[in-house]
Amino acid sequence: MADVSKLIPGQKVLLQGNEAIARGALEAGVALAAAYPGNPSSEILQTLADSAHSAGIYVEWSTNEKVALESAAAASYAGLRGMASMKQNGVNVAQDFICNLTISGTQGGIVLVTCDDPSGVSSTNEEDARFIARVACLPLLEPATPAECLSMMKLAFELSEQIGNLVVLRGLARLSHTRAGVVPGPLPESKRRPRWDPSQRWFTIPVVPRHQAMLDKLAKAGEIMGAAGVNYYDGPQRPELLVVASGSSRLYADEARRMLEAGERVGILHLGATWPLDQELILEHLARADKILFAEEVDPHLEGGVKSIYAQHVRELGIKDFFGQDTGHKPPVGELSPSRVAAALADILGLPWQEVDPAYQEKAQVAQALVAPRQVGFCPGCPHRASYWSMKQVLAADGREGIVSGDIGCYTLGVLPTGYQRVNAVHCMGSGPGIASGLGKLRDQGFGQPVISVVGDSTFFHAALPALVNARWNNSDYVLVVLDNSATAMTGFQPHPGTGATAMGQAGTVVDVEQVCAGLGLPYAVVDPYDLEATQEALYDALQIGGGLRVLIFRRLCALVQNKQGGHPWSISVDPELCRGEDCGCHRFCTRVFRCPGLVFDEATGKATVDEVVCVGCGVCAQICPAGAIKARPKEATA
Amino acid sequence: MKALKYDPLDIVVTGVGGQGNVLASQVLGRALLDAGYQVTVGETYGLSQRGGSVMSQVRVSSGPVLGPMMPDHRATAIISLEPLEALRLVGTYGHPGVVVLTNDRPLRPQGVLAGEQAYPEPQELRATLEGLCAKLYWLPATAAALKLGNHILANVVLLGALCALDLLPIGAEQVEAALAAMFPEDKMAPNREALAKGLALVREV
Amino acid sequence: MVLPAAPFAPQPTGLERLLAEVINPGLCVACGACLGLCPHLIFLDGQVAAPDPCGLTSGRCWDLCPVAQRGGPGAAQGPIGPVLGAWQGRATARDLEGRAQYGGVVSELLALALEQALVQEAVVTAAGPRGAPQGLRVSGRSGVLGAAGSIYAGGGALGELNRALAEDACHPLAVVGLPCQIQALGAMRAHPDYPQTLERIHLVIGLFCTMNLPWRGVRDLLARHGVQAPLSRADFPPPPAGIFQVWSGGAYHELPLDQVRAISYPGCAGCADLTSEGADLSVGACEGKPGWNTILARTHAGAGLLELAAGKGLLELEPAQPASLEHLNQAAIAKRKRAAAWSEERRHG
Repeated sequence: MADVSKLIPGQKVLLQGNEAIARGALEAGVALAAAYPGNPSSEILQTLADSAHSAGIYVEWSTNEKVALESAAAASYAGLRGMASMKQNGVNVAQDFICNLTISGTQGGIVLVTCDDPSGVSSTNEEDARFIARVACLPLLEPATPAECLSMMKLAFELSEQIGNLVVLRGLARLSHTRAGVVPGPLPESKRRPRWDPSQRWFTIPVVPRHQAMLDKLAKAGEIMGAAGVNYYDGPQRPELLVVASGSSRLYADEARRMLEAGERVGILHLGATWPLDQELILEHLARADKILFAEEVDPHLEGGVKSIYAQHVRELGIKDFFGQDTGHKPPVGELSPSRVAAALADILGLPWQEVDPAYQEKAQVAQALVAPRQVGFCPGCPHRASYWSMKQVLAADGREGIVSGDIGCYTLGVLPTGYQRVNAVHCMGSGPGIASGLGKLRDQGFGQPVISVVGDSTFFHAALPALVNARWNNSDYVLVVLDNSATAMTGFQPHPGTGATAMGQAGTVVDVEQVCAGLGLPYAVVDPYDLEATQEALYDALQIGGGLRVLIFRRLCALVQNKQGGHPWSISVDPELCRGEDCGCHRFCTRVFRCPGLVFDEATGKATVDEVVCVGCGVCAQICPAGAIKARPKEATA
Repeated sequence: MKALKYDPLDIVVTGVGGQGNVLASQVLGRALLDAGYQVTVGETYGLSQRGGSVMSQVRVSSGPVLGPMMPDHRATAIISLEPLEALRLVGTYGHPGVVVLTNDRPLRPQGVLAGEQAYPEPQELRATLEGLCAKLYWLPATAAALKLGNHILANVVLLGALCALDLLPIGAEQVEAALAAMFPEDKMAPNREALAKGLALVREV
Repeated sequence: MVLPAAPFAPQPTGLERLLAEVINPGLCVACGACLGLCPHLIFLDGQVAAPDPCGLTSGRCWDLCPVAQRGGPGAAQGPIGPVLGAWQGRATARDLEGRAQYGGVVSELLALALEQALVQEAVVTAAGPRGAPQGLRVSGRSGVLGAAGSIYAGGGALGELNRALAEDACHPLAVVGLPCQIQALGAMRAHPDYPQTLERIHLVIGLFCTMNLPWRGVRDLLARHGVQAPLSRADFPPPPAGIFQVWSGGAYHELPLDQVRAISYPGCAGCADLTSEGADLSVGACEGKPGWNTILARTHAGAGLLELAAGKGLLELEPAQPASLEHLNQAAIAKRKRAAAWSEERRHG
């Protein structure tokens, strides 16, 4: 990412939503920023890391989101400004701390940024993390554009400091990854000196009075946000329909109104501050129209909140018609789009709405029969393909219906054909070893199936450790396979404890997976997943031992990182004389079963070939060819 | 500032993860922003590097700020680094007036490589696309890029080709300036060649 | 109403059916005939597995499988098959003592065939480095001695034969196998897509088969009795001993026969062949004469090799005792009856 501390104030630049959040934090004088990588939030901290030296701040990839927010709270208690950014899942990880922090309160400004992922484009769920604002009684801001990302970050820090509590800013995947014009402001000229006044104590008891204080802070936050101009109305004095919207949905509603040429009939209440809801403002605008539509992603947060306010004031407001999730005008799942909002507007206003000529639509739909789905898969040369290949072979040879408990990372794709669908369960960070730990304790009740838990090297440190200690303690019987590709590859190759590098590019201390295993008293071995025979032998043996937790570390650098570091050593080719093609004795084993995208089956010749644009030269396929037709030769020799 | 021929001007840039799709849309967005237009570039790259479909939307207007997602069936142009991806998005964003500009080099989806699904014959794919747009540019962008020494330049070749159409309010020199702002000077020679090659490809058609 | 005739759909004769009828029901006896032909069938730690469907509806894996191809009546020549001459004998060389089974005849004959260059390599079954039996190619006396002795567990040795036959080579081969493996060899020689088997297999030595065991079952049984694998030797002494004798790391152990029977291959129950009727020579224990083998010469090639060995003084040979042969006949008849009853039972559910 770019060093956004170098942007020139007043000069408009194209910034990604996540970069604008980072710039906003710098302009607000953030002193400590921490995060655990998770798309769509990852670029926020990466941008801050790349700006850290010139901005003179501390930026950290933490082991997990809870630790990240705790670090940010430390800055707050030292009188500085701190922030933690995460994807929606991270909010769950941090929730225990959040729900106590909100009672103890904070000193320096502290902001939690959550980047939600409606439709789950790069997530295991599409959770709406706005719940945390209601649960923990925290002020919530929802920007709609990169420019608002910047300005609302500054507001969030100010607000946090004024009320003495955490403030939540909610981004969305589309916004995080949108680039638009942003005009940066100035950076602060002076820095605060960190000091924790020893007379200051931050804790949560007695709970009831502190709970009351927390609610008072929230009410105060509502007043401040109301005055900040982040909520506004845009439309005619007496619209037929009022759209109450937040986030990207505000823009979708605006565009839908334009497409339908319904500017005279539709007003939009833009809500940038969505918790607490500004009751006065909402009552004022509800009075404008008799029909109200909600546009938001994913949960009916505004819909529920506004209806609740309405219920208290129904006598003065009279009968209204509400449209939203409850009436099917806002989908309960997945993200919104301008077309979806337009369809809702058209339906409510009784307007004709046709996206495109039906004859064209039909022709285009028929043509889609030609379009094969493009399922995601492991990259060419990915060590995970080799690892899952070995797991598949060994579990079949073992023959006891072995179970693979999966986890979060690139290797989650093991549930798909690219990983031979060899993963039986995936939930959240660290859940794999926990489930395995439980399975491994069912032996006495007759559970005879072998159990493998796969975790990536970054996940190992994030959330796997407590489950491993649990398994060690209780003597649970399973094999932990650490898929160590020395990178947090799924989210953009961030460093982690096992790599020893830090977010700011300095050398940290390597926290070694082997040493952790040794410290826990776990037997472990390291194998190279590219060496299929050795890997399969080690895994088979590990499965036969039984009796407790044992660890295999499958270590091989991420293929994408390897590509950047000079590439793989082999030049791969197929000898057509030896290739058995579709005959008995092979039947497209490499392309149909192994499924590396670098291998192509040439229908014309009936032989496999190598796609030189795709193949990276890892050489694994040469080990699986039954005819020895796939040749791996050193690259130099062929160059 | 030149008036937009289409307002909003909505360009979909698509392809397969790793083809340089996001970079192409960033270059275009930057060039248009520098020329004074209201620009929103929406990027979708959840699992982009893992062989999935990738799409960016470059949205340009002279007035209101636009959201990151364009309405269905309203694209001005679809630029695709892979021909099947062009057809995929025509299904969502196409209409009889859309202009399609696509690389002709197929990248077969995993299911096709595994023999589970079919990839259409090039002639069939081309004819189908032609029947669903106002004008199709079927260009050998990867072949041209390979001649310049690196298949990854196909994205810049297509940007050059886009500049040869009468859609953008800016010219190739402004796109080149945006590239120059993002690449070190020693990497610019092949990029300039790729832009020029793209322009030439369209003029040959 | 006349229903249209159902379209003709021949039953598949490939991996899918092999899985459905042999491997998944647990009837595989690990002969190895399906191994080494393609990457879809693998063999690890004494067990055959197929991780992925191969996608073809026919294949040699099915055609060659002795369990799949079973079901016809036994050979017409009587309960122990064709016999040119029946002998009892033992090797005179002392280097075989304590290693080879009974009289050491198989090892001596193989070593001789290799020395005389009648064959260049022999495919045998031997314990691998971690105890599991596996196919092995040997090419001289020391190799034969290293592989001598039986551990009575399926080792997939024919997979090694298939690999040898797939090589770009033409040297003659010998095979030592159990009746199931000798049956599979017959199917290989008759298979239209496998011409090299006829050309290259010059010597087939079959073993009498009393019981064949799955290696993993043996290993677990040994573990239950505190015996460390690998075994150097194993033996079933004749009734009424009721034990299975094993030697491991110089120590001798006895395991109860009923526990061994309980783990034996279910797929063996349908086998009607006690004496490897399709071999050139069949060799087994000599009833009533410990330390000696019974030898059946079935072909002229087999008889010739036996004659050569006797002529060179490598084997001490006597004509088989009628009582011993009668005992063998009775045992073979009993095995046929058991197989017929088993097949009948399966047919009726």
